[in-house]
This record gives sequence, structure tokens and C-alpha cells, in this order.
Amino acid sequence: MKLTCTQENFKKAINNAEHIVSKQNTLPILNNILLEAEKGFLNIIATNLEIGIKIKIGAKVEKEGSIAIPAKLLGNFSTNLIGGENIDIEVDGYNLKIKNGLTKANIKGFSSDEFPLIPQKNTDFVFGISVLKLKDIFNKIIVSVAHNDARQELSGVNVVFFADKIAFAATDGFRLSERFLMLKEFNINDNYYADFFAKNSNIIIPLNTLLELNKIISNGFENNVLVNVFIEDGQIFFELDGIKIVSRLINGKYPEYKHIMPEKYKTTIIGEKKILQNALKMASVFADGKSREVVLKIDTQAMTVFIDTISAETGENSTEVKFEAHGESQNIVFNLKYLLDGINVIATENLALLANSDSSPVALKEVLPDKKSFVDGFTYIVMPIKN
Amino acid sequence: MTNEELWQAALSEIELSISRANFITWFKQTSIQSNINGHITISVPNGFAKEWLENKFNSHILHSLKNLQNDIRSISCVIATPKDTVLRREAMVDAIVAPQKQHQITQNQKTTVINPTYSTQPIQQINIENNLNPKYTFENFVVGGNNELARAACFAVSQNLGKIYNPLFLYGGVGLGKTHLIQSIGNEILKRDPNFRVKYITSERFTATLIDALQNQKINEFKEYYQKIDILIIDDIQFISGKEKTQEEFFHIFNYLYQLNKQIVLSSDRPPKEIQILEERLRSRFEGGMIADVSNPDLETRIAILKKKAFTENIQINDETLLFIATNIKNNIRELEGALNRIIVASQLTNAEITKDFAVGQLSEIISSGKKKGVTHKHIIKTVSSFYEINPDDLIAKNRKKEIVKPRQVVMYLLRNELEFSFPGIGEKMGGRDHTTAIHAYEKITKLLLTDEKLQKEIITIQEQLYKIV
Repeated sequence: MKLTCTQENFKKAINNAEHIVSKQNTLPILNNILLEAEKGFLNIIATNLEIGIKIKIGAKVEKEGSIAIPAKLLGNFSTNLIGGENIDIEVDGYNLKIKNGLTKANIKGFSSDEFPLIPQKNTDFVFGISVLKLKDIFNKIIVSVAHNDARQELSGVNVVFFADKIAFAATDGFRLSERFLMLKEFNINDNYYADFFAKNSNIIIPLNTLLELNKIISNGFENNVLVNVFIEDGQIFFELDGIKIVSRLINGKYPEYKHIMPEKYKTTIIGEKKILQNALKMASVFADGKSREVVLKIDTQAMTVFIDTISAETGENSTEVKFEAHGESQNIVFNLKYLLDGINVIATENLALLANSDSSPVALKEVLPDKKSFVDGFTYIVMPIKN
Repeated sequence: MTNEELWQAALSEIELSISRANFITWFKQTSIQSNINGHITISVPNGFAKEWLENKFNSHILHSLKNLQNDIRSISCVIATPKDTVLRREAMVDAIVAPQKQHQITQNQKTTVINPTYSTQPIQQINIENNLNPKYTFENFVVGGNNELARAACFAVSQNLGKIYNPLFLYGGVGLGKTHLIQSIGNEILKRDPNFRVKYITSERFTATLIDALQNQKINEFKEYYQKIDILIIDDIQFISGKEKTQEEFFHIFNYLYQLNKQIVLSSDRPPKEIQILEERLRSRFEGGMIADVSNPDLETRIAILKKKAFTENIQINDETLLFIATNIKNNIRELEGALNRIIVASQLTNAEITKDFAVGQLSEIISSGKKKGVTHKHIIKTVSSFYEINPDDLIAKNRKKEIVKPRQVVMYLLRNELEFSFPGIGEKMGGRDHTTAIHAYEKITKLLLTDEKLQKEIITIQEQLYKIV
């Protein structure tokens, strides 16, 4: 194996691949990154057997071949390279010789025979989505994914396919985020979608896979680049600009959540996101370290909302906020973190908080500039604390 | 041969020919999904396993299967999907639920878990919520010289509530059956009259509930709840030491119940006198009823316990083996049962008959190193000096102050007894003393231990602390 490629491409690819390699492996070969030279390209491959990644970069290949190189070492080496020049790579036996400008290294590697094979896709893509929209979905959804392993199916993002839209949802049992986009907002594979939809309607993508993908798309990709998504039995493939990611899907049944989202609300308050956010941040200074309770006292007559916290240890705090409030007056107790998490991901200037009672689901929605209509497609549901 | 047996047999053959890491990585969670006309479909957990098995291990697997069943011609892999896993059968749960107060507190800080029974539930239901574990009864408690008194006292209390020994105070070391005895009282009473309001709670939990009540300004409900109880059983009461407010509230509840002749049962790892930072008025009340101790079981009792356990598990073990286990595990009944369980499980896994040699093999780790693992002479010096509240350097230094001499001898005794140091070795570690000094110290403490009960307790406490550190 002998080739030359640009240092910039190499550095970025190694950085992306190295993330995937996990720290604790039963199989020693998994601590490595596989370098594979084929005509015109260098493939950089890594896997932890849950996620696999294959990054293709352009290269002037003189001799094809492959070798597995310890990921950590290669990662540290490539981060410290100084920019601007080409990299010459040559394999001699199980040694990798790298030359970049004045720096030379000789890294001991392993045979590529033992390296796992990365699963290949057998079907057509289901949909493509722009990096911008994907980032928006991640931003709104990931906050609600459960972080403990007690319920495995909750440790991922649920994707539900409909005839006219695709919905992404996550919950940790206390709050739930749902973001859906109409099919026309995707680059749908028209010939295939109907077939696919007939067989699959519900998958769960592991959180880690999405975090990795998010890291990669946030690392120097234009907003309009398309990510193509392929879904097969038990696995999912993402492809963008020479990067292929494959991941297992979570094997489980995602809980039904549609019936939890109320259709009508008795109380609506609408106001500026910043104001409510600041009031809650102030409340969090006082909120009790253990139960993090905050009370929203909504008075629809006076058009005010009081955000109150009482702590046995530190004292109490109350902030009055003038919001548009309609319907019944309510006193609702929340876990501050869950409420604030939802408000933080609202992207519009104004938000709406919709409630029915102090013990039924409360919704947060984005509001259009007219301060009346809601943005379709995103709902954050949080359960109040029972008293 | 069923598919399952076939796959098991094939796996055991494959396991021999590839490395352990490889085997675990690639064959974990695999099974035969179907066998149609000699074509085997293997269900695998992910795409990586599918690729690897199909491309690298294909012939290997086929070969192993063929050896077992001639008519197998080909194999392929599929990734397991929710349809054919157990998960699918899981009960449907709502996506989100209200974060009840208890839940959050559990998540954030264990110590303030509140007991949902108090104040929210009607009294009638408390019987179900009395925290008693029904497996602890007098019937399955093995009586020996060490616990005769304690057991008799507990039984008497269960027959005559609040009349004879009130409060009943049990104390003894870790894993000797205190919890079993005091829970037996509750279960015995409930057996007789299920309407009795029995409450078993650990003192840690009691404190947590109290803190929570204080926080939510529900202290009156807290008090009311406890004042309605017929028999209050508190485990590990020593943990209220130093918690002034808890002690105060407990004092009032205690007094209230005591006045009404309600039974109170307490357990602790040491007698009331030795519980540090305990209000004098509480101490005197603890001592006011009956104090019974549970000490280490003697050999015969240990054998009896093992026999009983083996009997309930329906396992045949000969006396020689039981004797071996009982002689080697002395301090703690929990360890004793653990050792027996270990042997039983190992024998079931390997299908071996339980003999003495088998037991020796299984327990070698526990007996030889398990107990002493990690303890060094430094640990002993540190523990002893902190126990007697002296400077560790004084133990090594050359002086003959009375308050130093005894701890120094205890250190030497422990070095010999726990770590099996040689006498010259002990002398050297103790600041270059002569080996005869070490011999004298060892013999003196050994002799004293036969007669001095206080010293016995001190040594046991030091040993417990010693192994807690490691």
C-alpha cells in the first residue's frame, strides 16, 4: 500500500473515525482503524460493532492494500500534524510509514484480515434530508432521550413513518419531544417509499449513533448537503459526501405516545421565550436541590404568570411575567429541569405553554411572529409533578 | 435434536477452535431460527455479526453442523428483528408518566426516599406495606447457643405484645440473624392477626422519611402515622447516632408508644452503651427493657444452619462437606449461606456431585485469600490506632505508656492472627522490636481473650472495621 493524500482530508477523516472506536473491547482488533487503499481513494474504517463508519477520501494511490492501525495512536498523531502539506503513506510489512513535511512516523499495525467487515446495504435509500433539517431535529429531540439503560427502547430516537410525514420522537418517561416533517420537506425516494412504508413504520435509532452523526455533520458540512438514509432489518445506513455510517437499530417496541398528546387545551399562555427562560433560570437558583420544584401560577384574568420556588434551605423566589393568557387559571408544579430543557430548544422568539390541569400533560410549542398560530411539527410534552 | 440443542452442540465445538474473545464477540446472542431442508438460518444480533459469520466463519460453522447432522447443506444469517425477540411481548407502557415526588427524589438522592405509605394511604392498607419480608419466620430460624436468649425473647414478645420486654433491644455483629429475628416477630404477629399494625423500618429510612416530612411541612402527619402503630420495629438503630433532630422525634414517638404499652423492638450492631453520640434519655430508655445479644454461631449451629438451608433447597450434601464449610467460614451467617449457594450453583452448572473435594475447590478462593485480600500491616496499624484514638507513630515508637502498650499488643496479635506474619517479621514491622516481644504480646492477648469479654468485643469491632476499609 502506497499513496499520497491531503493532510486536511486525512486529519478530518481520522478524527471522525476515531470517535467511533470504543475504549473497552473484548476483541483487540476493534481498537484499530482500518486504512484501505483502492484506486483513487483511501478508505478509513472504524467500528465498535454497534456503529461502523467508512470515510472515503481522494488519494493518489500507487499501490493498493490495507492495514489496521491503533486508533488512539493514529488519532493523536494526526491531531498534532501541522496544516498545509500532503501526506505520504506507505506500508511495509505491518509497519505504517507516514511522512508529512518534516515529520516522519513509523507506526506498528496489524493485519487487516481480522478486522470486522462493515455491513453493506442491499436496498435503495428511503429518504434524503438536508444537514440543516437534521441538525434541527437533533437539537429538538436529543434532550429528551433517556440516559439510563433500564428501558433499552427509550435509549434511542423513535422514527415513525406515515403516508404523508415522518415523525421523530424521544422520551425518558417524564417528558417527550416530537418533531415531524412533511414528506415534501425530505428528498423522498418516490419509487421506493411506498414499498418501504408498507413493511416498516416504526424504528428506534440508538442515541449514540445520532450523537456521532451529529458530531460529523457539525464538523464542516454545508447546510444544504443531503444525508441519505437506508433502512433494513435491524440496521440503518447514513450516507453523505463520502462518509458511510451503519448502525444497529434498537430491538424493541417503542411505547405509544400519540394518546398522551392532548388535542385540546383549557389554558394557553403565549409570550417571549427569553422572558420565561430568564425567570426559570432565576428560579433554579432557589429551587430545592433535590426535587427541583417550580410552581407556575397562571392567572388568566390578570394576564400574569408567577414563577415561584420555595426551598426549605435557601429561601424563596417569585417572578411575575406578563403573558397573553387565555382560558382557565391554573397552578402547576413542574420539575424545573424538564421545563427549562423544553424551553431551551424552542427556536422562535415566542412560545406557547398549553395546559389542561395540574396533573395532565403540558405542552410547549413554537409560535409564529403573529403571536397567535403555532408552528406545526414540534411539540414538547412535560408531565407536572403530582402533589 | 432440536434446533436449540443442535446450535448448543455446534457452539461448543466452535468455541474450542477459536479464541475466547472472538467467540464471545461473534456468537453472543445467536440462535438457529429455522432449519428448512438442510438450510439453516442463524439469527444474529447485528449486521456486523451477520457479515462476519457469513463471510469468515461460514465453512467453519457448516462443518460443525454437518458433523452433528449429516443432511445440513448450507447456512445463512438474518439480523434479529423485534418480531422474533422477547421484547415484543413486553407489556405496553405509557410513554410518559407524571414524575411523582418520590421518583424524583429517588433519582437525585437516595437518602431522602420517602415512604409512600405514610400520610397518603389509609391505615387498613398498612399491613401490606409493613416492609416485612415474609421469608423471615421463627420456624426457619436455626437456634443455637449463640442466639437462644435472643430468640426466646423475640418469641415471648410476639406472644405478649408490649407487656413483658418493652423495648426489646437486640444487638450483635453483621450477618448473625438480627434482622431475621426481629422480622419474625412481625410476621408471627401478622400470622395471628393480620389487622395488627406492624411497622418494620430501618433507622436510615426512618431518618430519611423524617427529613422529607420536615421539608414538606408534614411533620404532624409523620408523627400521627407513627403514633398509630401497634408494634414498631427499627433495624440498625445505631445509625441515628449523631442525628439530633431524628433522635428528638424518635424520643417523642418512642415515649408515646411506650406509654400506650405498644411494643417497640430495636436492633443494633452494639449495645446501647456503646452507641456514640446518643442522647442520654434515649440510651436509658433503650436499656430499660430487655437487652439480648446475638453472638457468633458455634460450629454445631453453623452445621445446623447449613443442613436446614440444604434441606429447603432440596440438595443432598454429606456431613463431611457440611463440616468442611462450617469449620472454614466462621464469622457470618450470610457468608456461610453464600458459600453454600456458591457450591450448589457450581454443582448444578457442571453437573458434578457435591463432595468435600468439590467444596474445597469451590471455596478455595473465599477461604484462603478472600478474607485477607488487600489487608496489610499498615491497615491494621491505622485501624487499631484510630480505634483507640492514639497516634499511629506512638505504636511504633519506643515507649511504655499504659495506654499505648495494649493497642500495640493488639496490633501484634492481629498481625499474627490475620496476616500470619512471623514473630520476627512482626518485631521488625513494629519498629525493630525483638521477636520475643511479639511472642509475649500474642500470647498475652490470646490468654486475655478467653476471659475478657470487653477485649473480645474490641477485637471483633477492629476486625470488622479492618475488612470494611478494604
